[in-house]
Amino acid sequence: MADFFYFENISYHLGAAGRRVTVSASLAEGGVLLIKGPSGAGKTTLLKILARLQECDSGQVFFKGENWLTIPVQLWRAMISCNSQKPAVFNGTVLDNLRRPFSLKIRKEAFNLSEAEKGLLELLLSREILGQEARTLSGGEAARVALLRSVLLNPDILLLDEPAASLDDKSGSAVRDFLYHWVRQRPGRGIIMVSHQHDCNDLPGTKVLDLGVQQRGVN
Amino acid sequence: MDVGVIPISNFQLGLSVVLVLITGLISAALKLELLKPLIWGTVRTFVQLTLIGYALTLIFQVNNLALIIIIVTLMCLIASRTASQRTPNAGRGPLLLGFVSLWVSTFLVGSIVVVLVISPQPWYSARIVIPIFGMILGNSMNGIALSLDRLFSEVKSRILEIEALLSFGATPWEAVRDCVKEALRAGMTPTINSLMVVGLVSLPGMMTGQILGGADPQQAVRYQIVVMLMIAAAVAIGCLLLILMSYKRLFTKTDAISPAVFTADGNKR
Repeated sequence: MADFFYFENISYHLGAAGRRVTVSASLAEGGVLLIKGPSGAGKTTLLKILARLQECDSGQVFFKGENWLTIPVQLWRAMISCNSQKPAVFNGTVLDNLRRPFSLKIRKEAFNLSEAEKGLLELLLSREILGQEARTLSGGEAARVALLRSVLLNPDILLLDEPAASLDDKSGSAVRDFLYHWVRQRPGRGIIMVSHQHDCNDLPGTKVLDLGVQQRGVN
Repeated sequence: MDVGVIPISNFQLGLSVVLVLITGLISAALKLELLKPLIWGTVRTFVQLTLIGYALTLIFQVNNLALIIIIVTLMCLIASRTASQRTPNAGRGPLLLGFVSLWVSTFLVGSIVVVLVISPQPWYSARIVIPIFGMILGNSMNGIALSLDRLFSEVKSRILEIEALLSFGATPWEAVRDCVKEALRAGMTPTINSLMVVGLVSLPGMMTGQILGGADPQQAVRYQIVVMLMIAAAVAIGCLLLILMSYKRLFTKTDAISPAVFTADGNKR
């Protein structure tokens, strides 16, 4: 299924040192693409480029056969949704934070509270957290709330930057189960994930793109 | 009761130098090293104000509409230069945008005040137009500098939130709306505060000047009310225009956050 999501010769340079990275890879429907490499290899930058939050020098991305430049950028970002490693926290409660994206013009659907509550439980967070001031959350809690917020927006592809980085083993594996369930729950979904950890390899259908070893990437 | 200005003769004006001597003695006694700037400042005050006095006399006599427009435009240019130097967070402030927003807000509000409220004969009477437009400019200059600086500092501190909103599919405007709100508040708060305390804490310079000039205090107060309200309106319009024209500079052509915003505070890219 090479035509679900793939990128060809995405080329960008890193920082002032100007090291150039050129990569190609593909993601199958229902699959996971794992981006690996040492710090400073350009993993986060690649995610941002794929989400069109940053510009690359050259290269193309295709989703369901469509070139990324033919799709309005706001729509692209809603479909290919990037979740940063450091969670963005808005003023207000956790509930306010989960609702925030639904105030945007591009969102036609309404916020679904029961879906949010279900997600919280799966991520080992209690229902009561909804009333808590989001700024008072711990790092691990904020990361899971931000992940849930992205998932509730129902993107086609989730771009995740070390989603388990600030989590203990137990909640880390809850997040992995949650993501694995999410990507298989409906057709037309996929995950591209930056991760230092090897434990995501055990997810079926996982491909690895190593930015440290080879610059041409996997096919 | 006597009405009219009590004139200050050259001799009397010279006496005011006594005040400089007092300031100079304090500076010398305490070794503040302010003597040179003090003397230079005094000389400049005399020269600049004397020249502007002659210039105003001339301008009032000629009273030509085109000349007035040129002078006010020149004032806008100087004000926007000053404003753009007061925005450390906005980098080298956008001079042209500052000028345009100052010019539009000053001419809009100033014309309303001069034509509709004061209505002198002729309506572009330089004696009215130049002081009124000058007062508007002096205040909106500070307002737009404050709000532009605030916009950039807010965006820098909320960069994660803005990027998150963009990745939810927000337009640039939606992504910075909270920052815009803060920026406009910052620009308008001093003006609104001055509406609260005027007459209680401060007697405004214009009103004081009119009273010294022999005007009826009740008339002076009426003028002051008009001036306060027009300044508030001009600051609001000026800030809004500048922010609306400036926020796009924070984004690239493809609605991503401009790399310049990241590098400005060394954020991880």
